[in-house]
Amino acid sequence: MRNRDLIQYLTYGGVCLIILLLPVFVQDAFLLNKSARYLVLGILAVSLSLSWGYTGILNLGQATAFGLGSYCMAMALKLRTIPIHTGAEGLPDFMVWNNVEKLPWFWEPFYSMPFAIVAGIAVPVLIAAGLGWFMFRGRVTGVYVAIITLAFLVVVNLLFIDQQRFTGGFNGITDLAQLDLLGFTFDAYGASSYYLIAICLTFCLFFALLVTKSKAGLILQAIRDHENRVRYFGYDVARYKIFAVSVSAAIAGVAGMLYTIVMEFASPTFMGVQLSLSVVIWCAVGGRQSLLGSMLGAILVAGMQGALSESETFLDTWTLVMGLVFVLVVLFLPKGLAGAAETLMGRLFRTSGHPSKTAATTQGEAPARPAASRPT
Amino acid sequence: MEIMSLVVTGLSIASILLLVALGLAIIYGVTGVINLAHGELVMIGAYCAWAMQSFFGLGLLASLPLIFLATALLGWIIDRVVIRHLYDRPLDTILATWGIGVMAQQAVRLLAGGELRYVEMPEAMNHPVSLLGVEIPIFRIFILGLAVALFAFTWYLIFRTTLGLKLRAITQSREIASCFGVNSNRIYGLTFAYGAGLAGLAGAVVSPLKSVAPEMGTTYVVDAFMVVVLGGVESLIGSVASAFIIGQSSSAVAFYANDTIAKALVLLFIVILIRFRPQGLFAAKVRS
Repeated sequence: MRNRDLIQYLTYGGVCLIILLLPVFVQDAFLLNKSARYLVLGILAVSLSLSWGYTGILNLGQATAFGLGSYCMAMALKLRTIPIHTGAEGLPDFMVWNNVEKLPWFWEPFYSMPFAIVAGIAVPVLIAAGLGWFMFRGRVTGVYVAIITLAFLVVVNLLFIDQQRFTGGFNGITDLAQLDLLGFTFDAYGASSYYLIAICLTFCLFFALLVTKSKAGLILQAIRDHENRVRYFGYDVARYKIFAVSVSAAIAGVAGMLYTIVMEFASPTFMGVQLSLSVVIWCAVGGRQSLLGSMLGAILVAGMQGALSESETFLDTWTLVMGLVFVLVVLFLPKGLAGAAETLMGRLFRTSGHPSKTAATTQGEAPARPAASRPT
Repeated sequence: MEIMSLVVTGLSIASILLLVALGLAIIYGVTGVINLAHGELVMIGAYCAWAMQSFFGLGLLASLPLIFLATALLGWIIDRVVIRHLYDRPLDTILATWGIGVMAQQAVRLLAGGELRYVEMPEAMNHPVSLLGVEIPIFRIFILGLAVALFAFTWYLIFRTTLGLKLRAITQSREIASCFGVNSNRIYGLTFAYGAGLAGLAGAVVSPLKSVAPEMGTTYVVDAFMVVVLGGVESLIGSVASAFIIGQSSSAVAFYANDTIAKALVLLFIVILIRFRPQGLFAAKVRS
């Protein structure tokens, strides 16, 4: 098993290294910005892989955490814009249009960048933990978790659109300043932002990997495979699940903050149903039970979407193809591309005389879900 | 007077909700499949109504049976090609049906164009009448009547026919029903087709009230889900009651606050409800 871990660490490190070295070969600012965007979506996919792939919590509202993180960063950057974009006394422009006279109290602390960064992680975590506590203490499982998280996402999204005076409504928060941190200015189209995102990606990926390797991570996987059995062993299943969604929300919050930096605005679509379901697709295509697979799935799918939707011929058919690919993956590759790769590796190992390796690769096989999980 | 108008608006919303939710409730209740493509089936029904009208000059009422058959056939195909393979992976059906929904949306956009389409209301039904002292078009009452009629028919189908008996047997235990010679695959296919047909009908009758667009399904599927979850998965009566509750409460809250807040509050209420009564408000006690 040690050997297998080492291979995994090396693979993860290798991919991160390639990502970090990309700006050496790509100088085009526009392309760099686009790559950075896909990397951020990759981080988001890692966060869902942790809760869905490793713990079996299908969180259809993963974009809640992403959007909240994004808004936290946007609020801080909005308060730093040059006065031309803001009203009297540094009031953000959309507040002036909506006849807000004084900066609301919850905007005040965002003058401080460290506070904003902490909030961008803490707010999603608190909300995820609260929702997790609410759901898992009541032993809500399976499909109902999916429905609750999706409904909650819609509620948050509606509130953000409705409270135009404080959130910019449909338009979101636009005209942001560039992030200034530790003496660096992060231009969305420069290499600096790309490096920032690539480093955060590496950090998040390895952090998530370490979580899954820890004892708690093993229990999370045990919960995914057979929740009741873990409960009979005396573990507090709800607590572990809350832990999983919190860590997942923290990573998604980081991704959200980075997304604001690279997109230069925050919008309600960042916490929209569309994005939230797209994350699920990325993980499913890449392989939800592999952090790296999910991340590459996101980069691959989002990247292809970006590339194909630019050409006239594919603009219309792209979504059609995407839907088809997704259905096929669900039908034939329940473990995604990573699962397929792993099976392939397992076959190679077997031919070279390591039967134990194949046994190890099948341990995470999706269990045949019992019919009893149906709400009857 | 104001209260009466609120109640009538609520009734109108509720009848549409019930129409959309009925098909979903049957599919979910019998097969356990979360059909996220349900909204797209509604949308396809609406587009069928539009196509019948603009290409064949058929009125809405005349085309209803055809639309039912067409969407039912589509539902049957979806079940045979995709869903059949996923009956023991209920969570994956969410993903697969969502993929189907995406495809359906895009296919319609390619075939019929992305712009809004309009379906004419049957002329005889355009006159307002007075209901509970409130003037509303006859068409709204027609929808209410159709919802009630389809509900009654479905109830009859499930509780008074052999097909319904088999269907209920499968709901309780698929394995044991199979042991007694019930062809569960066939029943599942028929259930899916029937549910899809109902969705198509719902789409067709709401098409004159709202503009028809490829994206219209998304809102319906969420609302329909809430009706099903609130009412309890296996309780048909529950669906009626919850459609009524959601319709009335949306109309009431929308009156005092605004539509967005109304929607958010209803969703929050449902979230809390699932937490404490996942079996729904009106579920009968079933041994599982």
